[in-house]
Amino acid sequence: MANGENIETTPAFHGPKVPAPRGAAPFQWERGFLTAHSWLVYFFLYAPIVVLIVLSFNDGRHAANWEGFSFRWYAKLMENKLLIKSVKNSLLIAGATTVLSTIVGTLAALALARFSFRGKGGTQALLFLPIIIPEIVLGAALVTFFGTVEMRLSIWTVILAHMVFTVSYVAIVVRARLSGFDRSLEEAAMDLGAGPLETFFRVTFPLILPGVVAGALLVFTLSIDDYVITSFVAGVGSTTLPLQIYSMIKVGVTPEVNAVSTLLLLLTIIMIVFAQRLQQAPGEPGEKK
Amino acid sequence: MKRCLTIVSALVLGLGLLTGCGGKRDEKVLNLFIWTEYLPDSVIQKFTERTGIKVNYDTYDSNEALLEKLQSGVADYDVVCPSDYMVSILVSEGLLQKLDFTQLKNFGNLEPKFLDQKFDPKNEHTVPYFWGTTGLGYNKQKLPGVVDSWAVLFDEQYQGRILMLDDMRECFVAALKLLGYSLNETDPAKLAQAAELLKKQKGLVQTYNSGDFAGLLAAGDVDIAHGYNGQLAKVVAEAPDKLAYIMPKEGGTLWMDSLCIPIKARNVAAAHLFLDFVQEPEINAEIVNAMHYASANGAAKAHIDPAILNDAAIYPASETLAHCEFIEDIGDAVTVMDKYWTEIKAQ
Repeated sequence: MANGENIETTPAFHGPKVPAPRGAAPFQWERGFLTAHSWLVYFFLYAPIVVLIVLSFNDGRHAANWEGFSFRWYAKLMENKLLIKSVKNSLLIAGATTVLSTIVGTLAALALARFSFRGKGGTQALLFLPIIIPEIVLGAALVTFFGTVEMRLSIWTVILAHMVFTVSYVAIVVRARLSGFDRSLEEAAMDLGAGPLETFFRVTFPLILPGVVAGALLVFTLSIDDYVITSFVAGVGSTTLPLQIYSMIKVGVTPEVNAVSTLLLLLTIIMIVFAQRLQQAPGEPGEKK
Repeated sequence: MKRCLTIVSALVLGLGLLTGCGGKRDEKVLNLFIWTEYLPDSVIQKFTERTGIKVNYDTYDSNEALLEKLQSGVADYDVVCPSDYMVSILVSEGLLQKLDFTQLKNFGNLEPKFLDQKFDPKNEHTVPYFWGTTGLGYNKQKLPGVVDSWAVLFDEQYQGRILMLDDMRECFVAALKLLGYSLNETDPAKLAQAAELLKKQKGLVQTYNSGDFAGLLAAGDVDIAHGYNGQLAKVVAEAPDKLAYIMPKEGGTLWMDSLCIPIKARNVAAAHLFLDFVQEPEINAEIVNAMHYASANGAAKAHIDPAILNDAAIYPASETLAHCEFIEDIGDAVTVMDKYWTEIKAQ
């Protein structure tokens, strides 16, 4: 997945950590090598994004050559009703998918971790399936299904389709968080008189929150950049940003696309900073990783 | 087991409810599904002002995407805009309605030479909207001589400066036309000749690109670009002393996008109103002036900006047009072509 860098949940890399060396010379060498290597990795990840942002301020019509600084494309973007509408659609769909998938996925993870029931193994295997199935197959299957049940293609079919492949991610991430869960904390809460709901919201949920947030971020990024499945199931009034960008390619890509990507990137960064704040929120029992 | 049944029935019920909400039919809404940059907002506004019908505008990126959507049977589009070859496919799949010409008073504004094409012989399903050509864009500073033939694409002195569309049929058009054949040629011997030319040409081609050919030409990355006239006309208009677009004298591809009404359209009356509205001379001219594509509407010419009418990249001369053809379904010959194309691309 192209958005791996957006879903980091551990604190950012603070420089190479190497075990205490015996002699000073190899230490220096290793350190230098690792620093260079880290910079190279960061360069590889972020250079294309920097180029994209810089070119969004390009005065020329073509992305390739620089013709001076201007906000021209941002102004043009604001007039492009179709593009604005597609951004709104994308945000609405990604937002709704995130909320719904996170709830369903978290509940599924809890059920799988806590209870044993008939067909549990099968359920777990089925949960992995939407991740493994090629998107194009899932897209074709979904549109055939919607056609069979006579469900009109709209923003709702897109949200449902996005839920199909994102619920699994949340379930897996939250499940991993639950595997190290100390159930005696819940028992203690109940001993002290908390009901099941109160126990969940004041003890269980805060403890699995980092997993839930990581899952939600994953869902948001997957949903907002999905092209293949969306192109199958989008209907009236639900053209998303990736669909709109692809359709603009027919008449040539202008820096408008760079401008809208830059704005979207800004939004994503704000979201990630917000999510990390949430995970580091004080006043919760237990340590955070 | 009982639990399972409860869950399944709840799901079905939920789906049913959602379907119910989505299935509402509205007489005052028209759902358009067409290419991007094909219709200015001002025209949509005028249509809404006059008829009170709200227009939803969705875009697609390929004819195949449109086909998939209509095949699903649950896409509520009232007006679509397929290209020539896709019209034949949509008609043969039974996905388009026959138009009611008593409701299309402005159909008479269309030039007869654009009607009754092979993809819809009696125009029962289509009203021509935009048309254009696939030709050559080139850099006048780098190619100072007369450029009027597909031969430049096969000229060794431009090695590494040539861009070809990443499209099998279009590349074969260039070779077939240079050899003096029809672009819908099916004779294996003639196809082999064309393939031989394209194989030799591969060493001269810098890149095969269907997405950003105009941008690469404008940026100076290539000096000759094989491409669709719409995008090339835009870059030529921005740098008229540097760039030019021509349709080679041998002729080339003609394309045409037409407005149609899908069989499952929900608001057929509004769709006819819209089809008629965009063929009003003033409205049609407003569309052409904003979008820089050629329209098949003859009556609109009086209102179209003369600069656009005289731009050979948009409205080519009629003698050039005489040698141009639509790309048609060539049946099994396409398999032969496909084999050659794979060989060329794998070289």
